[in-house]
Amino acid sequence: MLSLLIPILLISEPDTAETHIDINEVVVASSARGGGQKRSAKGVAASIDEHLAELNHVNLIRRGTYAMEPVVNNMQDERVSTTIDGMKIFYACTDKMDPVTSYVESSNLQSITLSSGLDGNPQATGNIGGSIDLRLRKVGFNAIKPIETQALASYETNGSVRMAEADVAISRDRLYTNLGLSFRKADNYKAGGNDEVAFSQFQKYNIFVNVGSRIASSDRVEASLIYDKATDVGYPALNMDVAKAEAVITSLSYKHNFADGFFLTNETKTYYNKIVHIMDDSHRPDVPIRMDMPGKSWTAGLYNLLNGQGERSQLQINYDIYYNYRHADMTMYAADSDWKMYMLTWPDVSTICTGVAASDDITLGNNHSLRVSTKVAWQQQHIGSDDGYQLLNVFFPHMKQTYHQTELRLAARYTLQYNKWKFGIGGGWGSRAPSITEGYGYYLNNTFDNYDYIGNPRLSNEEAFEGNLAVSFTSNRFTLSADANIFRFRHYIIGHVENRLSAMTIGANGVKVYGNIDHATIANAQVSLSARFTDNISWDGNVSYGYGADDDADALPIIAPVQYKTSVKYLRGGFSASVEISGASKQTRVATKYAETGSEAYLIAGANASYSHQFGNVGTILRLGIENAFDRNYSTYSDWNHLPQKGRNVYVSCSINI
Amino acid sequence: MNAIRTTLLLISLTFVLASCNDNDDVIDDFGQEILITDDVDCCSVDEARQVYEFIRKQKEITSLTQDIDDKYRLRVFSPTGSLHTGYNDLYFVVTKIVSANYVKDIEIKSFTPIMSMSSGMEHSTPFSGSIDNFDNGLLAIRHGWVSFVMNTSDNGSWNLDFDIRILKAEEHFSLPIQVDALADGQKWISQFKVGEEAYHISLVNPTDWKVGTNDISAQVTAVAADKKTPYLPADKKFTIDITPSMPDMGYHSAPEGTPLTPDADGLYNGVVNFTMTGLWRLHLTVRDENGIVVAGGDDTDHGFSSLSLEVTL
Repeated sequence: MLSLLIPILLISEPDTAETHIDINEVVVASSARGGGQKRSAKGVAASIDEHLAELNHVNLIRRGTYAMEPVVNNMQDERVSTTIDGMKIFYACTDKMDPVTSYVESSNLQSITLSSGLDGNPQATGNIGGSIDLRLRKVGFNAIKPIETQALASYETNGSVRMAEADVAISRDRLYTNLGLSFRKADNYKAGGNDEVAFSQFQKYNIFVNVGSRIASSDRVEASLIYDKATDVGYPALNMDVAKAEAVITSLSYKHNFADGFFLTNETKTYYNKIVHIMDDSHRPDVPIRMDMPGKSWTAGLYNLLNGQGERSQLQINYDIYYNYRHADMTMYAADSDWKMYMLTWPDVSTICTGVAASDDITLGNNHSLRVSTKVAWQQQHIGSDDGYQLLNVFFPHMKQTYHQTELRLAARYTLQYNKWKFGIGGGWGSRAPSITEGYGYYLNNTFDNYDYIGNPRLSNEEAFEGNLAVSFTSNRFTLSADANIFRFRHYIIGHVENRLSAMTIGANGVKVYGNIDHATIANAQVSLSARFTDNISWDGNVSYGYGADDDADALPIIAPVQYKTSVKYLRGGFSASVEISGASKQTRVATKYAETGSEAYLIAGANASYSHQFGNVGTILRLGIENAFDRNYSTYSDWNHLPQKGRNVYVSCSINI
Repeated sequence: MNAIRTTLLLISLTFVLASCNDNDDVIDDFGQEILITDDVDCCSVDEARQVYEFIRKQKEITSLTQDIDDKYRLRVFSPTGSLHTGYNDLYFVVTKIVSANYVKDIEIKSFTPIMSMSSGMEHSTPFSGSIDNFDNGLLAIRHGWVSFVMNTSDNGSWNLDFDIRILKAEEHFSLPIQVDALADGQKWISQFKVGEEAYHISLVNPTDWKVGTNDISAQVTAVAADKKTPYLPADKKFTIDITPSMPDMGYHSAPEGTPLTPDADGLYNGVVNFTMTGLWRLHLTVRDENGIVVAGGDDTDHGFSSLSLEVTL
């Protein structure tokens, strides 16, 4: 993976001075066909969500301005693997208010790598839709500058988002370290038309340290620590807010470089992370019942990754094992009495999962290659709480307290280069075990369809066949790329209305229990064009579309309509400017069966400019931009309950680099 | 010479008790030695141990402790050491004061709890009908239950009348008793009428209930023609459907269990499910042997039967 990223970092920058500054920025990379490298126009000031939004195949489900849920190939987190530097980490909120991408900061990262579909990164499991790996920033040994410091401040007018960040990188022959601190705070934002969106504030800070030590000429030890804490986070699309979302993410790894032979490196990493998520509705004025819904997740694991390179082969073999524990509960306070009601919503589920993955990039000839990857994983899930087990027993008499699953994935892709054309065709098969919520969740209210969801411990694994095609044409001044994929599911997991049960949440429509449907289909297609008119002026355009159907050929919910984006960019020396238009069509396949109400078409425009200049040893970058310039009031298909997007927003940021 | 004196020291058991029970009175009660002799009226070592093991899990209703002729001591136990509205298990033992050992041949008769209301009216309350041996291993314990329809208050007070025979000694007691009200959110006894006949349903020990699936029991008693005689288990057999709901949660109801039906001993058994802790209302629909609804089963309580009980988990 590293070998994939370094060229991207270099290729993406035309000018060495700029490379030096920008190397500290997050690069979002897609290893999928038609991907390529992207970065947010806001640089490090951009949130992880804003970086993710740059990726093809990725959309974001928005419940507020903070902690958006990445959707890959129109599949949500159950079908997507997210890892931090290969480390497994699992969110702690039963309402998905804390996707794990919310526990890191842009300044922690070197890159975000997306692998589309079943061909995941080695540590990924259950990644039918894709896998995201957040690669931590490491300056490494013997960098050009032995000491480099960076400071950044930014301000956004809409919601007065304040962000400040400072970090230092020290790089010597035998030792390196990165230290960073960042802070963000936002007030309520305003949707188009100056409509303030209540409960959309947030605040977060993040501390990041990593240290590497060369203990022998070809052996290194690396350690990393992230402490991330968000407080007072509003979720305007939901009825609940978050008082605290806190993560400690640690790792210790040992890496050996082989002097010669087929194998290049062997890395062993152990890690531990813990998330505490405190959700409540204490600030909401009108709720039928007050409730606290805390959640907890901790994970400890280990992986060993062996990289090899031959004349025609790039081999990766990975072994990993992790243990994850999750608990969530709910305490409700009756409105007109002193009664407290307690319900266990995630019954202390522990998961032990271990797997072996292998991938090989095989050069078949001068102009064609084959990539194959596979992983087999075995897991055991145990309901630690006897009370929780008894509760689920009400619905599933004679269920077991421990379940075992085997997950498997296999993917292959053939790539052929013919003059300026490149063709790729791939396919795969994979399965995933049900998520904790799908298997063991207890009366979890989903405000999208307003049903209480009950997990089903007897679910079968979900399986999918994937097929994908990609074609691209590249000339000096013109690039066209198109790709499409289709996922044909068996035993697709989705909630089924259970009329015999009564909703727990006051005002809910009823109860759904997760079940397998015989089959379902999700397909995605996109076309990108870019042209360089002169050395300074370029144009990019991208159109994408998603399709989802259940076993009755009815639409699946939260599937992207036609979305498009086009921008013109001017670049000269340290100055760059661009104008961007983006939008989406009206959602035509609306999943009314799943309570979706459909989104309207919208079109928004924005512009940004940046200027970087080097004063001797001091590099500076100044950025300025406007988003939703015409202050449109709109929401996208993935805005939870039609939560309106930000209205006009002007941002400015300045970073200094010494 | 043939008197084999065995001293059963219960000190070690006392320590066990002391470590898990913060009620010092109970510890003092059991701190004494039980003297095992060849007294045929009393328990052997094994029997005494079994009785002791059983009653130490109960608590003594000290206000009912009575000495008879300075020879015997009557002790009455319940799970809480007190009496409350609704169903109460009662365990009677008699010890010889000299040895503290349990007497096997005892009989309790004419057990009659009476409520004297300030209005001048008097009535009894549901009762098991007899106070009997209930376990072959526990020859010295007698068990019965009483379910109080109301608590002691300014409106009225309770009195307990019963006869006791210990070996050849007989005694009559008439003791005032204190019946405590249940906490808010607990209603363990309810009355219903089938035609002109009034019945009570009493939940058996709902304090044992927890979230998830519960096997539950209840007693159904018929109000006596003479209200001053105890209300005994009903001859008529019913099937009682239970639908639990949470008034504080918009009348969220838990998945249906199985209805209460009587076993050969007349004890009603069923299954009820609870999805969380908190206040649960148990809405009841009473059917006769032909399945015809004879009580409850209306929908006037937020869509549920107005005949109900309440428990708070």
